[in-house]
Amino acid sequence: MTSRPATKTPFRHFRAQVKNCLEYAAARKKKGAKIVGIMCEYTPRELIMAAGGVPVCLCGGSAEMAEAAGKALPANLCPVIKSTFGFNLEKKNPFLEMSDLLVAETTCDGKKKMYELLARDHPMHVLELPQKPDDPDALDHWTAELRKLKAALENRFSVKITDEKLRSAIRVMNRERKLKRELAALMKAGSPPLTGRELLDMKSLIAAMPEDLKQYEKALATLPGRALKPQARPRVRVLMTGVPLPHGAERVLDIIEGHGGLVVAQENCTGLKPVLEDTAENAADPIRALAEKYFHLPCSVMTPNNARLDQLRAMACEYKAECVIELIWQTCITYDVEAASVKRLAEDGLNLPYLRVETDFSPSDSARIALRVESLFETVRGRGRN
Amino acid sequence: MFNAGVDAGSRTIKVVLMDAANNRVVSSGICGQGVRQTAIARELFNKALFEAGIKRKDVRKIVATGYGRDALNWADTTVTEITCQAYGVKHQAPGVRTVIDIGGQDSKLIRLDKNGAVHDFAMNDRCAAGTGRFLEIVARRLELNLDDIGAAAKKAARPAKVSSMCVVFAETEIVGLLAAGESAGNLAAGVQNSIARRIGDMAGARLEGPIVFTGGVALIGGMRSALSRTLKRPVAVAADPQLTGALGAAIAAGGQ
Repeated sequence: MTSRPATKTPFRHFRAQVKNCLEYAAARKKKGAKIVGIMCEYTPRELIMAAGGVPVCLCGGSAEMAEAAGKALPANLCPVIKSTFGFNLEKKNPFLEMSDLLVAETTCDGKKKMYELLARDHPMHVLELPQKPDDPDALDHWTAELRKLKAALENRFSVKITDEKLRSAIRVMNRERKLKRELAALMKAGSPPLTGRELLDMKSLIAAMPEDLKQYEKALATLPGRALKPQARPRVRVLMTGVPLPHGAERVLDIIEGHGGLVVAQENCTGLKPVLEDTAENAADPIRALAEKYFHLPCSVMTPNNARLDQLRAMACEYKAECVIELIWQTCITYDVEAASVKRLAEDGLNLPYLRVETDFSPSDSARIALRVESLFETVRGRGRN
Repeated sequence: MFNAGVDAGSRTIKVVLMDAANNRVVSSGICGQGVRQTAIARELFNKALFEAGIKRKDVRKIVATGYGRDALNWADTTVTEITCQAYGVKHQAPGVRTVIDIGGQDSKLIRLDKNGAVHDFAMNDRCAAGTGRFLEIVARRLELNLDDIGAAAKKAARPAKVSSMCVVFAETEIVGLLAAGESAGNLAAGVQNSIARRIGDMAGARLEGPIVFTGGVALIGGMRSALSRTLKRPVAVAADPQLTGALGAAIAAGGQ
């Protein structure tokens, strides 16, 4: 990696995250490391790292690429799926182009079928994700899937994935998860030192790069005590939930924070969901330990998905949320149907106003979303007065 | 002193002036929307001042609402039309639990709590199906005035089935139905039912009465009964339903 000026703030560092990741991936690849594209938080990055690979997130957040996918995919489809695939059609995602392998899993139907098309152009390993988290044999099945992935990685890359290498990767990932948890926890303060957007931007497409870990530590050391620019009215504390906000698709969060809100917690895959639990570091069987950690992610593809509601309940309280905003990407059927349960939890269980925003990556409905958000905040403030 | 509410909607602008001492409306006005929105609204406001016999300096606060609210730079502050609808309805008819507001480009279903505050709301998304714009397009197709669409619907023997999801598709459907010999009355009634179904979808399973109907579309004959039939509940049209938003804005100007 190139040397960086000592004065570089964590915000500036992560603003260049795509460039940082490109430099890192190129340097590692030059030294013989394999680049492995991933598209979901269910993928255990540790297995890829233990195989000497560099896992890179390929989820697309570009409106332009979502539109480009119209040549091959139905118009009425989730924009993340369209954008991820649009990058492939246009050959515009350098990480996808340098990937030696893609690892994906059977989460939602749209992704699963898109992977078949992606597999025409790239080597692909698909893990079968069981979807009944409370079934005793489901975890066994998932563990077996991870063992198959281990064997596939060993064969393809001609390496041996030892327990020691796995444990070492688990330790690094746990360290990053802990740092990210601690950063997110800064938002619990009465006057948080950063905005939800600033927190969201402190991430990289590649996990656990050494310079990132240093910058997370630096942020944790320097941010407490920082004050956000005061606003005429106190910011409304928002718990965001629903679909993830891939790089480039931060529009709804920006609308929320541009209209008097502060996103204090994100219960989604670009927020707290993937970092809440660690992997056991000293388990006798590290593959089983990984299976346990990743299988417990409460995605809406799971049924029933009660763990998500439990996490929302805990977050609303810890982060002193004043309302819940659920983001649904157009035609994300599982999150959209589950929204009814989240609304019920917010309104009846937590006594918090709830707003569901369904949209895609195009900005045509920004004014309409802003109206809904403003109105929600008026309701929150009205309650505060009474 | 007086308070003012200005509702800059997609088709019309509405102004309400209110006596701050007793919350009585002293004058109001409605005019068509246009490109020069800020100036048009200002003229309407001045006209309302003149009719009430008061001066600008007698107005303590002006609140703007409606989709054009942020453009009215001469207003003191803005409040969303959702909150304003709730204030306006509560002022006129305390105890109302559901507001159906259908305007030029939006339709909304607003649920109020026991105190008349907004509990939650649903709105049309990226399509004008279920809005006044839909009725305008259909009226033109049927060669009717918007005001006559209710009378035509009344004559319907068998209301036509019309899609409620998309205005463009619905228009295509209507062209097909006209070609197949469907009567204008059946089509007018079918479109009103389609709008009512859209509102019914927004209401979902939890619908509490009393229900009040506001917005310009509440003035169109047949709409109230179409809603009432679809929702299987009594629906009352608000007094001066076009002015409810501006009235709520004036109340907001007075600090509720």
